[in-house]
Amino acid sequence: MPSTAVAQKDGDLKHIILENRDKQGYLLKILEKAQETSPKLYLSEETMREVAHRLDIPLTQVYSVATFYSFFNLKPQGLHSIVVCRGTACHTRGSLALLNEALSMLGIKSFKEEEENSVTSLDGFASVRTVACFGQCALAPVVMIDGEVKSRMTIGRLVTLLHKMKKGG
Amino acid sequence: MENERMTIYVDGRSVEVDGNLNLAKACETAGASIPTLCHLEGVSSNASCGVCVVEVEGAKSLVRACVQKPSPGMKIKTSSLRVINARRTAVELLLANHPMDCLSCLRSGNCELKAMAERLGIRASHYPKLKKFAPPDTSTDGLTRDDSKCILCGRCVAVCAETQTVHAIGFSGRGARTRVTAFMDRGLAKSPCVQCGQCSVVCPTAAITERDQTQEVLLALADPSLHVIVQTAPAIRSSLGEALGMAQGSLVTGRMVAGLRRLGFAKVFDTQFTADLTIMEEGTEFIQRVKEGGTLPMITSCSPGWINFIEAFYPSLLGHLSTCKSPQQMFGAVAKTFYAQKTGLDPENIRVVSIMPCTAKKAEAKRPEMDSAYHFWKEKKTAAGGAVHHFQDVDWALTTRELARIMRLAGIDTAKLEDENFDSPLGESTGAATIFGTTGGVMEAALRTVYEILEGKPLPETNFTPVRGLAGIKTAEVPVGGMKVRIAVAHSLKNARVLLDEIAAGTSPYHFIEVMTCPGGCVGGGGQPVLPDLGKILARNRSLYAEDMNLPERKSHANVEVKSLYTAFLGAPASHLSHELLHTHYKAKRF
Repeated sequence: MPSTAVAQKDGDLKHIILENRDKQGYLLKILEKAQETSPKLYLSEETMREVAHRLDIPLTQVYSVATFYSFFNLKPQGLHSIVVCRGTACHTRGSLALLNEALSMLGIKSFKEEEENSVTSLDGFASVRTVACFGQCALAPVVMIDGEVKSRMTIGRLVTLLHKMKKGG
Repeated sequence: MENERMTIYVDGRSVEVDGNLNLAKACETAGASIPTLCHLEGVSSNASCGVCVVEVEGAKSLVRACVQKPSPGMKIKTSSLRVINARRTAVELLLANHPMDCLSCLRSGNCELKAMAERLGIRASHYPKLKKFAPPDTSTDGLTRDDSKCILCGRCVAVCAETQTVHAIGFSGRGARTRVTAFMDRGLAKSPCVQCGQCSVVCPTAAITERDQTQEVLLALADPSLHVIVQTAPAIRSSLGEALGMAQGSLVTGRMVAGLRRLGFAKVFDTQFTADLTIMEEGTEFIQRVKEGGTLPMITSCSPGWINFIEAFYPSLLGHLSTCKSPQQMFGAVAKTFYAQKTGLDPENIRVVSIMPCTAKKAEAKRPEMDSAYHFWKEKKTAAGGAVHHFQDVDWALTTRELARIMRLAGIDTAKLEDENFDSPLGESTGAATIFGTTGGVMEAALRTVYEILEGKPLPETNFTPVRGLAGIKTAEVPVGGMKVRIAVAHSLKNARVLLDEIAAGTSPYHFIEVMTCPGGCVGGGGQPVLPDLGKILARNRSLYAEDMNLPERKSHANVEVKSLYTAFLGAPASHLSHELLHTHYKAKRF
């Protein structure tokens, strides 16, 4: 989570790679840890290059994995994170309106759901992303704010939460 | 693998098949052809297109025949309505996002997707277009990638990763967002792509093609102020016929010359002339390296994809490369110096067109250091108070496919032409030069000459068979001049990598190594007719060896025009002028 993110030094990545390189599914583990420890919670080009170089695997393989999983961010993420569930249950209970409200409150003009996973406000304050399903359909619509799942969300509650977030609450 | 015979039932008829075949092949032995858009024998089998489905009794869903093995007693329906509908849906979904510009598409005549739509009788697409595509990638000189035509079959990714171990492209994204890209979605120019073009010969559509330069050449041919000459690589004579509808491996040397002359080239010359010249230079270089303790093993440098590969992946081994330019570039340099001087033509008005089996040759011609003739004239003309504008040694390199297109455009029926001969003075060649087009050929040609130079007597046997054939790596030990010369020959970059790793580890036992980028050598090049298979490559190889046998001279040092080029112009092999015009240097490539 943004608040607990530690600054990533070169040594960290090297350490992560050495610690995981012989484990099964090593590439996923390494990329996951590399993202978690990066200050802006993303995999930079340099990070992916270093991972490929140290593991002696092709750049395209790293890129393939990093772009396959929506968990991985290839762009710097905002200070806060807002994840709107766009699964069928949440959609029928108004998740599109929630998404649009979040975007407009953060001053984000356009977000093409079918083309990108996430979008970050220009001031770097928050990132908005969508997921296909949280598996919390009974509590739809669901929004996750800074790692905390908020169920049966309404526009009114979302506005309140975002105002609080902006005031630093 | 054990040959396991079994009986299966294909569309109600019992048939005995080899159990090691895939189900598609097994059905084919029963006379039922199974269509596919992604499976390609020896290249890829990832069952991504979903066209090869068949109905298997007892199986809940349809089975993809290209990745399934038969089992004894299996009952298969290959053309039930359920199968046909599934195939149609698979292809319609591919067509939904396809630009459908078939009339003006480069692959109009040989597109597998178009042929599949026709075969399945698809008359309309029921699905909306949902995808958006980036504009085509034209960042490299050899290849164009157009995502909008990609059907994600994975052949290009497989050939790039497995045959060539280059990994320039891979799948990125997921689901509807899946696409084939280089790292960070940047163009090929910023990737380790070696421009070999193997992706363009396996691509079922026009998603990856050669950079088409036919229009530029047609414009030059129509310009009366230009003297446009052409050179033809060895491999073209055994593949152009096929590209024009003749039998696989048709040898069309004389008809090709006649056709090129009809297209309006002022002179029809032969890259084989400079292949012989290459042997003179490279043979001399090898003897010097052996005698003077130079870097060994020495590795051949004719194949530009290979040069790009070693520059990108093994820059510390660049000292092993022969400094000889490739025959294409030697030709350009000689044509715009010696030939220009001899004929009194202004080198600035000469255009050199190459016909190559290769997409990497396009990129090679554009390499900034490939302008030796310009520097030659600049020195001369500046000394005389004149000026000269910059030009490259070779202006355009067209692939076999592009030449075939131009021939068709001009209505030249190559099959009906009478044989004609190459022009002088850059047209004579020996059998040694012909076999440059196939794996092992450069090595065999070099040995024929090196042996006779060092031994001072004729070779007892001109054919050197240990380096022939399609084994990935071929090795031999040849007694020459009191020394046992250990040689190795590799084709396809995955095999080259094995030899390079040995050199890097200090365990390479060889003195001389030949590397060709493509499977089978240039005959299997990235600019050759699309969809190669082993049979086609072997047929082309056989044709080249047949021409070698039939030529009056079969050793490069017996080429009279090459000899007179040395007497009249260059001096001797490895002379100062030779080095200026015929040799080059390499540099590490970062990606």
